[in-house]
Amino acid sequence: MEYITITTGFLIILAGLWAIMTRKNIIRIIIGFSLFDTGIHIVMVSMAYVKGGVAPILDKNELLTDTANKIVDPVPQALVLTAIVIGLGVTALMLAYAMKLHSEKKSLDIESFKDLKW
Amino acid sequence: MISPIHILTIGLGGAFALGFVPKKAKDAAAVIMLAAIALMGVLTGSWLIGLINGDSAQQVFTAGFKPPFSINLLMGLNEGALTTAVNFIGLLGGIYLYKYLKEAGNHAIMVFLIFIMGLNVVIMTRDIFNLFVFLEIVSIATAGLVILTETGKAVQAGFKYMLATGVISGVLLIGIIFAYYYSGTLNIDGLTQAHIGALRGGSVALLMIMVSILLELKTFPANGWGLDVYEGANAGIGAMLSAATATGMYYVLYKLLVMAGPEWNYWIALIGAVSFIGSNVLALKQRSAQRLLGYSSIGQIGLLMIILGFKDILGDNTPYVAFGILFSHYFAKAGLFWLAGIVKQSDIANWAVIRKKPYFLFLMGTFIFALIGFPPFPSFFAKWELVMELVNTGNLPWVVAILFGSMMEAVYLFRWFGYAIKGENENIEDFKIEWNKILPVGIVAIALYVTGYFTAQHTEAGAAINWIPLFFVAAIFILDFLPVFVKNTIAIIGMALYFYNIYPDLDNMRLVFEAIFMIGGILTLIAGYAYKGKRTGFYPVALLMYAGLTAIIEAQTTLQFFFGWELMTAGSYFLIIRGKRSMPHGLSYMLFSVGGAYALLIGLGMAFAGQDSLGMEIINTISYLPYWAYGLLIVGFLTKTAALGLHIWLPGAHGEAESDVSPMVSAILLKAGVFGIVLTLIGMGGESNSYPWLPYALGWLGAITAFSGNLMAVFQEDAKRLLAYSSIGQLGYIVLGMAMMTHLGWLGGFSYVVNHFLYKAVLFLTIGAVVLRVKTHNMYEMGGLIKRMPLAFIAVMIGIIALSGVPPLSGFAGKWLFYNAILEKGWYLQGAIMFFSGGIAFMYLWRLIHTVFLGQLKDNHRNVKEISIWFLIPIYLLLAGIMVYSVKPQWVLQPLGDMIAQWFPDGQLTWDGGTAFTKYGHWAGTAVAVTIIVAFLVVLALLLISTRKAHKVKQFDITYSGERPERPETTHVAYNVFEGLYKAMWIATIPLVETWWNKVTDFLHDTADIVRRIYNGNGQTYIIHIVLFIIVTYFVIIGG
Amino acid sequence: MKKLFVFIILIALASMLYPLLDTFHGNDKLSELSQFYAQSENVSKVNAQNLVTAVVVTYRGLDTLGEVTILFLAAAIIAFFLKTESEKRTLRKNSEIFKTAAKMLVPIITMVGIYIFINGHLTPGGGFQGGAVIASGVILMLLAFPNMEFNHKFFEALESISGVVYVGLAAFGAIIGLGFLDNAILPLGKFGELFSAGAIPVIYSFVGLKVGAELSNILNKFKSVQAEN
Repeated sequence: MEYITITTGFLIILAGLWAIMTRKNIIRIIIGFSLFDTGIHIVMVSMAYVKGGVAPILDKNELLTDTANKIVDPVPQALVLTAIVIGLGVTALMLAYAMKLHSEKKSLDIESFKDLKW
Repeated sequence: MISPIHILTIGLGGAFALGFVPKKAKDAAAVIMLAAIALMGVLTGSWLIGLINGDSAQQVFTAGFKPPFSINLLMGLNEGALTTAVNFIGLLGGIYLYKYLKEAGNHAIMVFLIFIMGLNVVIMTRDIFNLFVFLEIVSIATAGLVILTETGKAVQAGFKYMLATGVISGVLLIGIIFAYYYSGTLNIDGLTQAHIGALRGGSVALLMIMVSILLELKTFPANGWGLDVYEGANAGIGAMLSAATATGMYYVLYKLLVMAGPEWNYWIALIGAVSFIGSNVLALKQRSAQRLLGYSSIGQIGLLMIILGFKDILGDNTPYVAFGILFSHYFAKAGLFWLAGIVKQSDIANWAVIRKKPYFLFLMGTFIFALIGFPPFPSFFAKWELVMELVNTGNLPWVVAILFGSMMEAVYLFRWFGYAIKGENENIEDFKIEWNKILPVGIVAIALYVTGYFTAQHTEAGAAINWIPLFFVAAIFILDFLPVFVKNTIAIIGMALYFYNIYPDLDNMRLVFEAIFMIGGILTLIAGYAYKGKRTGFYPVALLMYAGLTAIIEAQTTLQFFFGWELMTAGSYFLIIRGKRSMPHGLSYMLFSVGGAYALLIGLGMAFAGQDSLGMEIINTISYLPYWAYGLLIVGFLTKTAALGLHIWLPGAHGEAESDVSPMVSAILLKAGVFGIVLTLIGMGGESNSYPWLPYALGWLGAITAFSGNLMAVFQEDAKRLLAYSSIGQLGYIVLGMAMMTHLGWLGGFSYVVNHFLYKAVLFLTIGAVVLRVKTHNMYEMGGLIKRMPLAFIAVMIGIIALSGVPPLSGFAGKWLFYNAILEKGWYLQGAIMFFSGGIAFMYLWRLIHTVFLGQLKDNHRNVKEISIWFLIPIYLLLAGIMVYSVKPQWVLQPLGDMIAQWFPDGQLTWDGGTAFTKYGHWAGTAVAVTIIVAFLVVLALLLISTRKAHKVKQFDITYSGERPERPETTHVAYNVFEGLYKAMWIATIPLVETWWNKVTDFLHDTADIVRRIYNGNGQTYIIHIVLFIIVTYFVIIGG
Repeated sequence: MKKLFVFIILIALASMLYPLLDTFHGNDKLSELSQFYAQSENVSKVNAQNLVTAVVVTYRGLDTLGEVTILFLAAAIIAFFLKTESEKRTLRKNSEIFKTAAKMLVPIITMVGIYIFINGHLTPGGGFQGGAVIASGVILMLLAFPNMEFNHKFFEALESISGVVYVGLAAFGAIIGLGFLDNAILPLGKFGELFSAGAIPVIYSFVGLKVGAELSNILNKFKSVQAEN
């Protein structure tokens, strides 16, 4: 199971990078970033899986004894939560930038924003 | 003490609480922000003081659990220093940005506060995922601050920044999660223990972490986005990125490098070197001030990375070196960015406007010299220590790489500075002064001097440096508002007192040079009384040069010597660039000086290697690559004596300098190079020299330099350039004399040292004073001045006789000794060249009399007056010196001979009263001089008597010539006199050397121009660069 | 051409990522770190039923504080970046059905959001999830009533209060000597009940309010700038 998710995660990372590096439209590039982030998050969650483990929520009494051998790793899950929120903030800011760029040149083509170079 | 965790309380609590401040109360919000930053600064500062005084480092735990189970922070000495630095610059930056922040509103103020707070935590945290989170805080805050002053460019730059950091942080996150997978911990110390680099996957995870930090540091060449931000953002934000963020990120790299293990050291150093050289070369083509500063920042971080890579080799010295460079960069770069925001000129050529407010020019100079690593700034001492240690441990290629990169940095920074000092500024609108912007700039400038002083105290050799001359320079700088008369008097008294105090401590050889420097300095300063007004900036820089000169004489250690050498270079640079049209010459002088200084630095490093001492005596016993060491020292000194190949700066620099500056930089300054060569040759063992090829090559170089210098002088129309080329030739004689490594050769050389000082000072002072009267340098525009300036005529007359080396004057002593020495040594070919060039000298010397003083007076010079009395006084004092030397040569040559005998006991002159004997012949100076002078006076008297009744012909009365011109015209052949000779000799006058150096610079500039086109402005391309950088580092470091 | 080049780059990148995939073999047991968190003495020290929440709010509370800060930053930057003129435009009215449904749904959505963050220490979810749900209610309102006057002052005040309280609670722990962000500043209560896990539910509630307010602010900014265009 974890092999499938981690491979999928990597593939989504590469797909996201593909979009980031080849799409001309800024919105699509931002979508590429979302993909890239999502791929990373999937990889992170895959790390958490322990064979035969259940979610680390101790709402049943039998989970309270010998907990360590019954649950999956809570740490990557906590990390991924943080990462998702950070990704959300970044995406929101990028979109704000996209709006500003569009109002500047009435274009969303990344090629048209090359005033600074060399 | 308050726990460092409360930085979070203050920073975050403050930022969140700012939401309660009403929108309209912008001042209140800004003040609260500054107060919060100041409070964080006090907090970290109090820790820093405690830690310096021996408190132990403090671990801060969170959540009531010990690490690795919860996140912890560390407050140690490094953290204390760096967080304090960040908060300090944050406070100053906040003051600078006050109005912009206010205008952007409370939200922007919150962002700025969080930015500073985030950097603090980035420095302190010991948890890698927490590091990631706070890095994100910093980079998102940066993305917001970039658009603080919202221009189209800023928005574009900000978006590119977001794209780039988005990819970089993704890579970092993958690295972190896999690091956790392989090690089971997120604690940096835990990861250090886990050695995940040893695992196949772990090494990739580690690589991803390290590379993303490198990319965050904007490592060349995957840094186009960073450059765009530096250029597009508000200058105040540029200052924050360059000073605060770079400082924090650099420490992150350090923390993670410890975690990654020693096998990463090499790679960090290598990547740093590539970044340092790459961005400094590319910066050569920059015209935009802020972008140029961006390149320079990236370069400096590269240098810091090299230092980090060598941390195991530098050992306990690492913090000293790293902090020295880091703090110079931190203060200077912030200052320059702020200046860029004040001056508001993007094109560096327009920075000439800064001169309209001279104190700003001073600030800019401070920052630029600090960046290049001149004394007394911390970077000087750090660079010294770095080079010494690296050479000592056999890492020569690294030293060469570092110095090459620094050299490139010097090129563009001094070009920029040259524009500021000398560029055209008539049509540029003056800039406005806002106090909140100036205050931070002034504070960082002062901080540079203060930290420089304390950096010096940190090492034994540095603490021994004599700061009195520098304090004197500073005092004169503060008194710069006084009129010339007062400052000149203070300067002369100061130098005289200093010389009086210092001379009993010097040995004879040093005394000779010190006397030339100090007495010569005083004499040339006397001429300064001729100037009116304030002469703003002249006295501090002139005294700076003399402070450097005396420092190299007094030096007990190689550090002191190098310290003085660089001070002298800085002072003379400013003196030279004061002249008209001197911008390009000032630059080339500086670049040759910096290059020469780096050669010296390596040479002194080699001397240090294996001897574990910095005393000056170590150059007598160099054991590590001695041939190279002595060779490099000689090359370094030859840049100052303007030997052929390294001379192209001299004619312009001396020719265009002010009238009383030319003798300072010619008669006096050039002797510093000679002094260095003398020290080196003594170091090589004097008579028992065991490196025969070096003096041999040096001798040929001297001979060829003498020939070329004299030949080039012949074809000059500019009187001062003529003298300048003549100096090149004269220094060639001196070098050849010293290179012979015999008693007579040295005596001849020293005789020339004294002589050249005397007559070149006379000639440059006189010609300079004439130029002040006739307002032109071109000899053919002068003529017939003998009637108007008889005293000047006599001075030039005696000067050129002394120079040409004919009896009866002192120059003959040198010549006679030379030919004896050459016969003895058997260097006949070199001797022939010398003899030939002596003949050439007559051809140009004659013109100084014929073209300038004889012939017909030009119309516009009919009413010129005799040269100023303030020039005549030093001139005639020097002439008196020449006469004494001529009549009583034994008074000079005997003590010199005794002095030289300690290194070359064989082949001394034997004296019988006033007659000197060698195995080839004898010479009775006094007798010859007296005879000829008496004969001259007799003939002169006879002539005067016999021509008493002669008819005096008016200038245009050419009745007797048998011709009647249509209109009055001069019959005085003055222009292109040696046309015929030129036709015969032109092939020898092709400026091959200049062409070669031009080719070199063109090549570098063209390379820079081609390579920098990879930064095509497209954010997407920058991402491709980043990904490529990751892949390349992966394949290089880990392999396929 | 460029695409081919990028393709090659990605292949190279994939070959760099391959060792990570290749050496990945899943987990047979918890990492040392998580084993510590799962020990019963430590479970009772934090006393949160949801271990992920224990990690997020307590053990790695500093990350969460940072995370909240990032959202706050994004909102603040967008606020000063997308400055809006107060010029108003009337937008097309939505259908009655949509508006009525929205009016009915928004209170429920808000309640669900609040439920999620209050119970963050017991069940899946927490402040961020709850806040996001609340913000989705705000979106619905913005869509249904485009001409509605958005009370951004209220949301900003809510954001600031929540932020200050969060930092205050965190610092309080450090001041009384327990440690920054220690949840034991409040009684730990009985395991598995609403009032357990010390400060976690309080913190998570404020995080929820803060996140909800921030996201709402961002959304409102986007909407009002769009209205301009």
